[in-house]
Amino acid sequence: MEVGAGKQEMLQKKSAVLVDGVILNGPIMDSKAGEKFVEEACKIIMEEIVQKADDVTEKVCEWQAPEKLKQILDLEMRDTGECHQKILQLCRDVIKYSVKTNHPRFFNQLYAGMDYYSLVARFITEALNPSVYTYEVSPVFLLVEEAVIKKMIEFIGWEEGDGIFNPGGSVSNMYAMNLARYKFCPEIKEKGLSGLPRLVLFASEECHYSMKKAASFLGIGTENVYFIKTDERGKMIPEELEKQVQRARKEGSAPFLVCATAGTTVLGAFDPLDKIADICENHGLWLHVDASWGGSALISRKHRRLLHGIHRADSVAWNPHKMLLAGIQCCALLVKDNSGLLKKCYSAEAAYLFQQDKFYDVSYDTGDKSIQCSRRPDAFKFWLMWKALGTTGLEERVNRALALARYLVEEIKKREGFQLLLEPEYANVCFWYIPPSLRKMEDGPEFWEKLHQVAPIIKERMMKKGSMMLGYQPHWGKVNFFRQVVISPQVSREDMDFLLDEIELLAKDL
Amino acid sequence: MAEPSGIGDSIPLDDPGLDIAAGEEFLQEVFQILLEEGVQKSTDVTQKVCEWKEPQELRELMDLELRSDGEGQERLLQRCRDVLRLSVRTGHPRFFNQLFSGLDHHALAGRFLTETLNTSPYTYEVAPVLVLMEEQVLAKLRELVGWSSGDGIFAPGGSMSNMLAMNVARFRRFPESRSRGNWDLPRLGLFASQESHYSILKGAALLGIGTDNVHLVRTDERGKMIPEELEKEIQRVKAEGSEPLFVCATSGTTVLGAFDPLDAIADICARHGLWLHVDAAWGGSALLSPQLRHLLAGIHRSDSVTWNPHKLLMVGLQCSAFLLRDSSGLLQRCHGVGASYLFQQDKFYDVSLDTGDKSPQCGRRADGLKLWILWKAVGTRGLGWRVERAFAATRYLLEQVKRREGFQLVMEPEFINLCFWFIPPSLQGQESSPEFWDKLGKVAPAIKEKMIRRGSMMVGYQPLGSRVNFFRQIITNPAVTRQDLDFFLDEIQELGWDL
Repeated sequence: MEVGAGKQEMLQKKSAVLVDGVILNGPIMDSKAGEKFVEEACKIIMEEIVQKADDVTEKVCEWQAPEKLKQILDLEMRDTGECHQKILQLCRDVIKYSVKTNHPRFFNQLYAGMDYYSLVARFITEALNPSVYTYEVSPVFLLVEEAVIKKMIEFIGWEEGDGIFNPGGSVSNMYAMNLARYKFCPEIKEKGLSGLPRLVLFASEECHYSMKKAASFLGIGTENVYFIKTDERGKMIPEELEKQVQRARKEGSAPFLVCATAGTTVLGAFDPLDKIADICENHGLWLHVDASWGGSALISRKHRRLLHGIHRADSVAWNPHKMLLAGIQCCALLVKDNSGLLKKCYSAEAAYLFQQDKFYDVSYDTGDKSIQCSRRPDAFKFWLMWKALGTTGLEERVNRALALARYLVEEIKKREGFQLLLEPEYANVCFWYIPPSLRKMEDGPEFWEKLHQVAPIIKERMMKKGSMMLGYQPHWGKVNFFRQVVISPQVSREDMDFLLDEIELLAKDL
Repeated sequence: MAEPSGIGDSIPLDDPGLDIAAGEEFLQEVFQILLEEGVQKSTDVTQKVCEWKEPQELRELMDLELRSDGEGQERLLQRCRDVLRLSVRTGHPRFFNQLFSGLDHHALAGRFLTETLNTSPYTYEVAPVLVLMEEQVLAKLRELVGWSSGDGIFAPGGSMSNMLAMNVARFRRFPESRSRGNWDLPRLGLFASQESHYSILKGAALLGIGTDNVHLVRTDERGKMIPEELEKEIQRVKAEGSEPLFVCATSGTTVLGAFDPLDAIADICARHGLWLHVDAAWGGSALLSPQLRHLLAGIHRSDSVTWNPHKLLMVGLQCSAFLLRDSSGLLQRCHGVGASYLFQQDKFYDVSLDTGDKSPQCGRRADGLKLWILWKAVGTRGLGWRVERAFAATRYLLEQVKRREGFQLVMEPEFINLCFWFIPPSLQGQESSPEFWDKLGKVAPAIKEKMIRRGSMMVGYQPLGSRVNFFRQIITNPAVTRQDLDFFLDEIQELGWDL
């Protein structure tokens, strides 16, 4: 409790100042109690999350139905506060019922695991609570962001370039779309789109849904995203792209952007960047590569060929918080242009923040390149992790994840009942599990209909048991299949074996 | 064909691929350093607010280069110490530079927890607690706005929240524009006050509406939007053939802390059928104080509100709520695309809890947790009390500024922004001279440079309209005492005396 007890005492102190019933002398927050609270909370975090993170005997999740969970958690926000013990208990409850995304058997999303260095960096930034808009207010983090962007650009293969960190790959894609549009027709920034020719952009049918969301947000319209057919491996077919660009021109619309995906969300497919870049060059289109997921393969000398040709892109989205465990969020948009395009496109030159008469070189106040005003220092955790592991350490991580995926693929091929969708080229292993009862069934609509129901049931069971979490989805006419994603270095071969064993176990009676 | 890499990659896969014990040890060590250097010193008035270094010097000190090999624990620990030492202490009682400052221990614990849980609250299956919590927090904020139902989502900053409002407003009026785009829409008209936040302009550009179509409405001498001027602008814009769509009223402008008259503006919006969005990113927290909520009288009549608890409530960046009065699913219809790999409809629980599709983002941070923990610790009353304390501190400072020679108010503050000039002795009595304002404009930057180099405090300055550079003092942190405020004025005087 902050107020009350000491009030009388304080009023009697010498030259106490009372304004509107508020005493302004000493601080009213009990710092010592606060610091103790933080210490205890950190202890709980350490014991309940960090130290249990690699323990496979712990549950991945403690499933509760929503109504039940609401009761257990005491979510209500009341007029008065509660004591520290109660809050610490609430923290424990939050931890208990939260999904442990750092568990070695959490495979549900395109992020997983825990990196200690990144976590340390994140704690540091939370304690400092900076905003990365100007040098005066966050000197360290601004310079760090600059250094990280420079390094990422090196890996893409550009001599120089620009970039910024964003709250998500979706936002990076949005930035790129807007940047391409601005390059195409700078007037749009002031005049808007109404009355202009219809802009059209192209992306593979496997692209991330943020392309649609961005198109609608930007006023371009979802139907002006032309989806390009992919081959049986989920990769954009360049000839189809050429066809669509021609079609768009014939229609009288204005093609301006192609988004290639390096590492699609479901299949983990990589579009053929060189061929796509050829087409973009021919037609004068901006090439954006959404490498949110696959970008980290650039760090691996062995696997970087997946993104061959990426240096020909005009912009790249790359999320280290996915494969590199940098911590949510850590998403960069990198831009080849070095003429200040990013700034010209986004700047609003607010006089209260970006004063030109500061006593230092104001070109350091890079915040105006962003759509955001206040912004988090997301590059820092990546930087500290890189310092700790070195490029070699990060490379090992990527190689290991892909080696584990390779191991799993071989095991799946050996085991009865498991059927691969396709040979993966990255870390996404997509497969069906066909329970014994369906194995003798003939291939046909009835078979697939029944198979479609298998994954959801297994998923429900695994979550209620808390043994692991794995995503499933239907996809382009294919019924529900599992998408296994390997990321975390905590994951080992036994976890892959366990994955298959557990599915078999849970589906025994289906 | 995928290249068969084989298990003969000689990567041992049996054990985890990272040194867990070393990692945990490192974490423990840093906790210690963090508590001392980050938390304790952050709020200690005897410490410097900042450790100024020229950019080139700082680069060298930091040794920023990313190399092939990793570094040892000792070196990394030193790096952590360096970062803490060389960063600005925004939690310091004498950091007045932005619309956020201070450090709340409960929220901090919430932030540490959020980082360690490391997840995205898009679906119930992946973040059950955080999804429920976000709903709870948004409902509470809506209650304070005056809505018993509604919708909303957390966004990465007030700028984004404002843009969401713009997009939803456009979608409501022109639902087909979501798929067809803006091509065959009429030119739209957006309205905001001259004092509004620049994100309205950025939003208009991003959304393809165009910054030319943002019409900035004149404000009075207190920085408040003049309703008659808004009416005039709307008429003018209509006459030009554009279609007015959206009015953004600001509750707590960035520089002056002015509050637009919401009732009058709501009347105009109702008459013309325009969407009323209230950017209460800064001033929204006044709703927590029974004494101050009148500043936002009429806010319940709006269609949407932006409110950033990371400003006045010290919850930590970022925490920005986009609140919507509509409860018909407008937000979902506007932004949702139903990605089948994430928002499957055949899940075994009620999928209406998979609220992530309402956002234009996919992955998102769980910004609700820190606010929830803070609220649990301090209660609505405790938060309201904080706002009142900030206000009282401003009033105290105001009285001092009026009394002291050399300090001149820009205007009587309505809220917590105290704007004033410091007129050094060399310029006092020279108000009528032609170079007076020119010279005065150079004073604040010079004082700012000195205070930063000294590390004694930080306060912002800016020009505004025809007014030359003045200081904008913001007191949000309840740890700020009367002594800090006296020091503030003393320091400006001392640093500016011989200018």
